[in-house]
Order: sequence, then C-alpha cells, then structure tokens
Amino acid sequence: MADDEKVKVDAIVVGGGPAGLSAAFTMARAGLEVILIERGEYAGAKNVGGLVYGAVLNRLIPNFWEQAPIERCVARRSLVFLNDDMHVGLDFGADEWTRPPFNNTFVVHRSQFDRWFSKQVEAAGANLIEGMVVEDLIYEETAGRKKAVGVKLRGDEAFYADVVVLADGANGLVTEKVAQTLGLKGGKTAQDYAVGVKEIIALPKATIEDRFQLDDGQGVALDFFGSPFKGLTGGGFLYTAKDSLHLGFAAKMETLAHAGVSPNEVLDGLKRHPVVRKYIRGGELQEYSAHLIPEGGFHAVPELTGDGVLIVGDAGGFVNMSLYKEGTNHAMDTGRLAGETVVAAKKAGRFDRAGLAGYEAAVRQSVAWKDLKRYRKVPEILEKSPNLLSLYPAKANRMIVDFFTVNGLPKGVAQRKAICSFLRGLPKWAFVRDVIRARGLM
Amino acid sequence: MSEQKNDAELTLADKLYRTKYEPDAAHPHITVDQAICDRCGERVCLKICPAEVYKADPADPKKINVSHENCLECGTCRRACKLCSVKWNYPDGGKGVKYRFG
Repeated sequence: MADDEKVKVDAIVVGGGPAGLSAAFTMARAGLEVILIERGEYAGAKNVGGLVYGAVLNRLIPNFWEQAPIERCVARRSLVFLNDDMHVGLDFGADEWTRPPFNNTFVVHRSQFDRWFSKQVEAAGANLIEGMVVEDLIYEETAGRKKAVGVKLRGDEAFYADVVVLADGANGLVTEKVAQTLGLKGGKTAQDYAVGVKEIIALPKATIEDRFQLDDGQGVALDFFGSPFKGLTGGGFLYTAKDSLHLGFAAKMETLAHAGVSPNEVLDGLKRHPVVRKYIRGGELQEYSAHLIPEGGFHAVPELTGDGVLIVGDAGGFVNMSLYKEGTNHAMDTGRLAGETVVAAKKAGRFDRAGLAGYEAAVRQSVAWKDLKRYRKVPEILEKSPNLLSLYPAKANRMIVDFFTVNGLPKGVAQRKAICSFLRGLPKWAFVRDVIRARGLM
Repeated sequence: MSEQKNDAELTLADKLYRTKYEPDAAHPHITVDQAICDRCGERVCLKICPAEVYKADPADPKKINVSHENCLECGTCRRACKLCSVKWNYPDGGKGVKYRFG
C-alpha cells in the first residue's frame, strides 16, 4: 500500500464491548479521529451478560436509561442458598431503586444494549467497523524499541493510529499477542478464569410480573449458591428481563475441570432444582450462551500500558468477583480513563509508554481499582475455604429450617437439636477461621 | 398432576439449535494437534466445553472430533487444554455465533 493511501487516525479501539465503546466515545467526543473495530457482525454479537451497572455510563450519556434498550431496573435483589430439598433466601429492595438513577443496576440483553451503545459512539463521531477481525498490531522499531502504530486486519488490510486501545475482552487474543511482543508484565498471579453459561427463557411479561411480584418496568436479580453447584467455586443467577429470564451460572474453570462436570449439565441441574423449576415453568428457551470471566482480581491485573497501547476492561481483568460481581461499570470506567489519557497524550504529542502513563495513574485512583484492591483476597479465600460455598450454607439452611419445623417437640428441645445438628461434623476451628476470612467477600 | 414440559428436558443440541450462528463450514477456526491429544490422559476438553465441541471419535476413541460450527466462542478450551493442543482463533469477521440477546 502506498503511503498516501494509508489510513491513519488518532486512535484505534479493538473490540466493541462496554470498555472499548466507552474509550471510543470519550475520544470521539473530544474531537479525536477514532476507528473502533468489532469482529462480530455488530457490536454485541459476541457479548454475554445480564446486568449492566450504569454509574459510569450515566456520566458519559446522562440519563441513558431514557433511550437505551433497558429491560428492567433492578428493584429487588435476592441471595438464595439452595440445598437439594430446601432453601433459605435473603431478599431486599428499596423504593428508591425504582427511581432514577435506579441504583445504577439494570437488566439488559447485552447484544442489544451494546449495539445501542455503539450507535451512540458512532453519533459522537467515531468510525465503527464491524465484521472485521484484528489479527495483530503493527509496530515500528526505533533503537530496538517497538511501538504499536496500527492494526493488521485479517485479509491484509491495515489501519494506522497514534494509539491502539485493546478492549478485546476476556477471550482477548490480540491483547495476549501484544503483551508478548511488547513484554508487558503480567500480574502478580496469572489470570484466573471462570466459565459462565446462560439461557434466555421466554415467558409472557404478565407471568414474569406475577411470578416475581414486580411492577411494570421493575425487575429482580437473584443469586444462587449451594447444592446445584456441586462444590464448584461458583454460583448461579436469575435476572428478569421484560418478557424473558436470564438463567445461568459461572464457576472457576479449574474446579469444573477437576470435578469433570460439563457446564451445561450443571445448568440443567440448577433448572431442575425445585425453587428454580417453578420460576422458569412454561418458559421457552430462546438462546444458550457461554463466556469467560476473568476472576483473578487485583493481583492478576497486568501492566496496562505499553508504547502506543492501552489495555481496558476484561482484557485487563477488571472484574470484581466478590459478592457484588461487577464488571461492566469497571470496563466503562477503565475505557473512559484510557480515552481521556489519549486525549491528553494527543495534546502533548507523545504516545510512548511515558506519554500514556497517565492512564495507569488514573486507574489507580478509580473506583474499579479501589474495589479490585479491596477484594484482592477473594480468589484466595474461595480457594482456601471451599466450605464457604457448600458445607456451611448447607448446614445453616438445615438449621434455619429445623428452627421453623413444627413437629410437636417443645421449642427448647427442637432448637437444641437444630444447633447440635449444625455443630455435628462441623470442622470447628476451620469454621471460625473461614468465617473470619469470609469478611473479605463483602 | 403432571408437570408442564420444562426446558430442563432440552438437550444441548436443542439449545444450540435455538442459538443463532453465521456458519463458516469452509474455515474451521479450531484445530487440535491429534499427536498431542493421543498422549493426553485428562481430556478436559470433552467435558468443559459448554457446547460440547470436542467429542471422542466413536470408531477411534483416541481421536478427537471438533464440531467448530457449534462453538460459542468463549475460549474456555484453549485455556483449559494444558498441553496446548487446541489452536483457537477468531472466526472470520461476522461469522460464528451471533447472539441476539447475549
């Protein structure tokens, strides 16, 4: 390609998920010339999720919920501990969650939501190129130092830019190659992945609202723990969309491999649990999906900048896998910060690592970083104390059910029996240690 | 009282059938190195793939058959295969799984 035909812009973003879209939006709005490349037929075609956290997006697009394809706001949440034949739930909600900004928590269909977001990015002035695969970056070498100067597309095309923002997600092949080429350091620990699988189950809107006791437009997010997950490090979820349910689960890859169970079988087991079975009764499956989740947390976050590159979102491992399970907001936050960094670098005219160092500094001040840091021990806690997700909740469930079992015994006797049964077979010192450790999950 | 037919009775094939793909039969985006698979004792791929893309050949159980057209593109297999036999690349642009809900 002759030099004068070379397409050169200010920044190229690889990947049209929340992180890449936020980066592109931020840069385009500041007047930079931006190309975003998405390998799916449309942004969202490869993306999976059910909840979107909107605090960052609300800063980028104020009151986005008035125009975005939101299925329902999350008016209620529920933590449900399942034994094979009993359950205990903790249900909570607030009226204020049903009013703007809706607790910044929304049920969405990510393929539709991300696609909508990509249209806003386009409207802000970025060029969206869909259905193209980035194979690798293009580098220029000066004095033995490589700097990214563009992207190589499958089929020989190339685009050039001062900076490439890597937002290729949990299954980010481009980020992997770049880290190797530029020698970007990994985190203190290797990234640790969970596999998530999910079904979309259609039900009439009125049925959903009756079954889950919801007003129009309001939804519920349930998290499941316990026996359907067979001691895996993971749990399930059910989110109500407008006229469908998201039902799925995620578990650490290693624990799945070790147990030799297939994700689809575990999901079917969850669907057969009496609690879940009643929720999905009569529903019709619309779609089955799978996705990786980077769960290594704080210690697995790699070096985020190199000469001419920035890493954002899942590609950088920005997922908080505590009880809160937030990822989309951190993706958007790191994307936004990367975008702002590039805007500043453009003014200064420097795109090497030092010129982009503002990104790592800004990330260290961000909510994403603070949350990942706060929950840095989560992977270790779950590995060292597997009983937190299996034995203890099972015993606690039994005890609570026993307390409320009416069987003709005097309450004093029944309660003593319930407590004795809880303590029987309980590794007491380990229990105390695990409970103290478990504070790190909240 | 008979329970209404529940989706829990759907097979994986049913589930994949209801999921939308833009097939690209001519360009498999996954290959395995059979020589490596021959000496693999664990065969994690057979179980861990959410779409059961990897199956032992009924005629030759050592051989791994790959149904790349069912792939949901999660990337679990390439990280789970400790012997790095799985060569996984993105399908061509616009091809492969095409989530309508996601």
